[in-house]
Amino acid sequence: MKSIPAIDVRGLNRSFGGLRATANVSFSIEQGTVTALIGPNGAGKTTVFNLITNLFPADSGEVYFHGTRIDGLSPVQIAELGLIRTFQTARVFPGMTVLENLLVGRHHKVREGLLQQMLWLPSAQREEASLRARADVLLKLVGLSRYRDTHAADLPMGAKKLVEVLRALMAQPSVLLLDEPAAGLNDTETAELAALLLAIRETGITILVVEHNMSLVMGIADQIVVLEAGAVIAQGTPEEIQRNPRVIRAYLGEEVSA
Amino acid sequence: MTEFIQITVGGVLVGAIYALIALGFSLVYRVTNVINLTQGAFCILGALSTYMLEVEFGWGLPAAAGASIVAITLIGMLVGAGAFVPGLSRLSNANMLMMTAGMLTLLEGLMLVVWGSQPYAPPPFMGMEPVHVFGVLVPTQGFWIIGTTCAIITVLWYLLARTTFGKALRACAENPAAATLMGINVSRMQVFSIALAAMIGAIAGVVTAPTTSIQFDTGRLFTISGFIAVAIGGISSFPGAIAGGLLLGIVTQLATAYVSSLFSGAIALGLLLVVLIWRPNGLIRAGTQRRQDVRDEPRVWKHVTRLQPRVRTVMAMIGLALAIALPLFVPEGGIMSSLVIAGILFIALMGLDVVMGYAGQVNLGQAGFMAIGGYTAGYLATQYDVAPVWGTLAGMALSLVAALALSLITLRLRGLYLALATLAFGLLMDSCAVGLADITGGPSGLVGIPSFAIGPFDFGSPVAMYYLVLGLLVALMLLLGGLIRSSFGRALQAIRTDQMAAAALGINVVRCKLIALSISAILASLAGSLYAFFFHFLSPDMVGTSRSLELVAMLVIGGEGTLVGALFGAVLLTLLPTVFQPLAQWKTFASGGLLVLSFLYMPEGIFGSFARWVAARFNKPAKISTSPVVSHV
Ligand SMILES: Nc1ncnc2c1ncn2[C@@H]1O[C@H](COP(=O)(O)OP(=O)(O)OP(=O)(O)O)[C@@H](O)[C@H]1O
Ligand SMILES: [Mg+2]
Repeated sequence: MKSIPAIDVRGLNRSFGGLRATANVSFSIEQGTVTALIGPNGAGKTTVFNLITNLFPADSGEVYFHGTRIDGLSPVQIAELGLIRTFQTARVFPGMTVLENLLVGRHHKVREGLLQQMLWLPSAQREEASLRARADVLLKLVGLSRYRDTHAADLPMGAKKLVEVLRALMAQPSVLLLDEPAAGLNDTETAELAALLLAIRETGITILVVEHNMSLVMGIADQIVVLEAGAVIAQGTPEEIQRNPRVIRAYLGEEVSA
Repeated sequence: MTEFIQITVGGVLVGAIYALIALGFSLVYRVTNVINLTQGAFCILGALSTYMLEVEFGWGLPAAAGASIVAITLIGMLVGAGAFVPGLSRLSNANMLMMTAGMLTLLEGLMLVVWGSQPYAPPPFMGMEPVHVFGVLVPTQGFWIIGTTCAIITVLWYLLARTTFGKALRACAENPAAATLMGINVSRMQVFSIALAAMIGAIAGVVTAPTTSIQFDTGRLFTISGFIAVAIGGISSFPGAIAGGLLLGIVTQLATAYVSSLFSGAIALGLLLVVLIWRPNGLIRAGTQRRQDVRDEPRVWKHVTRLQPRVRTVMAMIGLALAIALPLFVPEGGIMSSLVIAGILFIALMGLDVVMGYAGQVNLGQAGFMAIGGYTAGYLATQYDVAPVWGTLAGMALSLVAALALSLITLRLRGLYLALATLAFGLLMDSCAVGLADITGGPSGLVGIPSFAIGPFDFGSPVAMYYLVLGLLVALMLLLGGLIRSSFGRALQAIRTDQMAAAALGINVVRCKLIALSISAILASLAGSLYAFFFHFLSPDMVGTSRSLELVAMLVIGGEGTLVGALFGAVLLTLLPTVFQPLAQWKTFASGGLLVLSFLYMPEGIFGSFARWVAARFNKPAKISTSPVVSHV
């Protein structure tokens, strides 16, 4: 039996001036799987993310999230549904500590109203304490506890990327879109990230990840979608993709020759 | 018809100076991406120094004008090299704008010290007798204005389009990194652009001064009009700047003639707000659109200090004890009153801190809400004997409505245009305070406002008022502190730096901004009412745009985003002139100077620096647990 896909993208088009950033992109993602979106620089991967989360509207095409149509909803509404993304350039919030960055992730789930927060009522205190406890657990999980009260903007690149992933996790998403989470990570950190992503999948969260690191992609992905010049040129399991001649020419070949 | 043409000609003359100022803005903006608000002050500096050399020292006009223009150009270079360019690498665009507001205040303060506060009327270049042109009277100075404007535009066009210098300047504007690689010294070009703008400003000032009366702070009006002109015409286009200036000049002159001189300001601002709603990027668009998913302000960030709860409580207790005991040591009189005023202003500053310090939304119109609160409470008390408490609440309700109306315009705006819209709001309140003389008493103010009272208890004496304000401050501090350190406060801080990332996490940016602005407006209104009850009097300049800029200075000097910091700025800037009476005329200069210095050398403000010191000394090091294992969830 085929369940409703977590994400279903149908015929997304978007041009910037004369440039066709995405051309008729369609793919779908099963719930609880890890899908990797790969392709050379400028292939339109980030644009696909931006279209799914509606940072800007598509020229045409539809996006379904667990069967509900979400293109046209605002980014806030989309996030509230449980579709959370990270950005290619680590966008931790400067001026806040690592812990506070994580807590921001949970903002839209906070139940206590403004007045309760203002008066610092026991219920608000309890909620705050449970948020902090959750954030502490996540930080400990990836070994970032020592940075808890550090200014997030002072972290090394790799740690910033991890913080962004954790912040997204704090939002309790059902689908997580990660844009190059391993960029700037060293080999050990990349291995830890891979373990983290698999652990996240274990909890039932669906992941769509853009990544250039092939060993990471091949190691964790259940499905791979390959973009080139805005169009999907291949789609399948890691094994199928590794054997696909078109992909080897367009993408992997380039990597070998480099 | 002749009359209409006559007025339009007058409008063109006024518009010419706006256009020249707008040109200066545009020039600096294209090279540095920042609006330099000092531009108007350069005009007045040029005009006043020419007047001094020509009339008081007896130099001939050419020598006086020449020397002044050279001097102002040098001052421009100094401002550029000393503050502007160093600031560019350290401050966000919004803070740069504030810093130039500080420099404007500083130059105004300088002029106040040198030339005093009286108005000057420099003589026209070629006699008072106007000339008849096809039945229209044109003052001879008008030809000078038009001629100079055309000459400046031509020379500037030639300079930019045809010379190596111009090419280098344009390269800096289009791509600073590439310009650096090409061997162009970008910082030097930035300084040059400011000096050039200062020169244009000075020439404009010298030529236009004879048609108006000028004093130390007229530059502010020029700056604001030029700012409105570029907003209408589009900031990054020279023709747009010129068209915007002329349009603004003509519209204000027609409005003055056919509607009311008191409301001509309001009409110009109305025009601006309409343009901002309709076309948030100006009427004439130029340049490419930036990528939206890239953060626009990757500037250096200051330190983040978090005091542990224990340390915070001890500090708060010590502070409170000091505040309670203070009246025992301070004599009744000037200093006591200054403390009360500082406390009242601090209420408005806490609101400003929520909007600016936490949510990062520039607000140059905070005093506008003070005006609403002050005039509403004052009017109700004097005309209808409404109890002060009810008048104050009515003011707060009205401010809330005004804040919601303002957000209709500002929610879509960011950075520069947001600054402009809030500034326009403040000015609009200004001109209403002057124009609605039946309610506000007009320029001479609203008199006979009673003391604040709750039931039978009257807060007539400064000491009683002191404790009332102190009580309010403690309550507000607890409430806002609770809000800021919980989820809502964090959402605001997220919005401050990255609205898009915040939205992607499900933070409702619009709602958060709306709430922040509402809180801020209500607090400003409360402060305005208390201010009026304390002085028993309220005039437009007590709650005008100078006040708004002063509030920003206080906030930055004290420390943004700290909630308590602004108190230090308020006390400093209110007490200094009281304690050093003979130096009172240096107040404006000091407030501007301190603002610029804090931005450059103490961006965390007094309290921020103090808190960092306390944190380094008294925060216990956190217990560290390291276990980088990901095997279990
Ligand atoms: N907002 C935008 N405005 C103009 N052009 C854009 C915009 N967003 C993307 N593009 C263009 O669309 C193309 C695809 O960009 P995109 O960022 O999606 O690529 P990508 O696959 O994520 O590349 P990379 O691996 O470098 O991150 C590029 O040529 C880019 O310049
Ligand atoms: Mg990308």
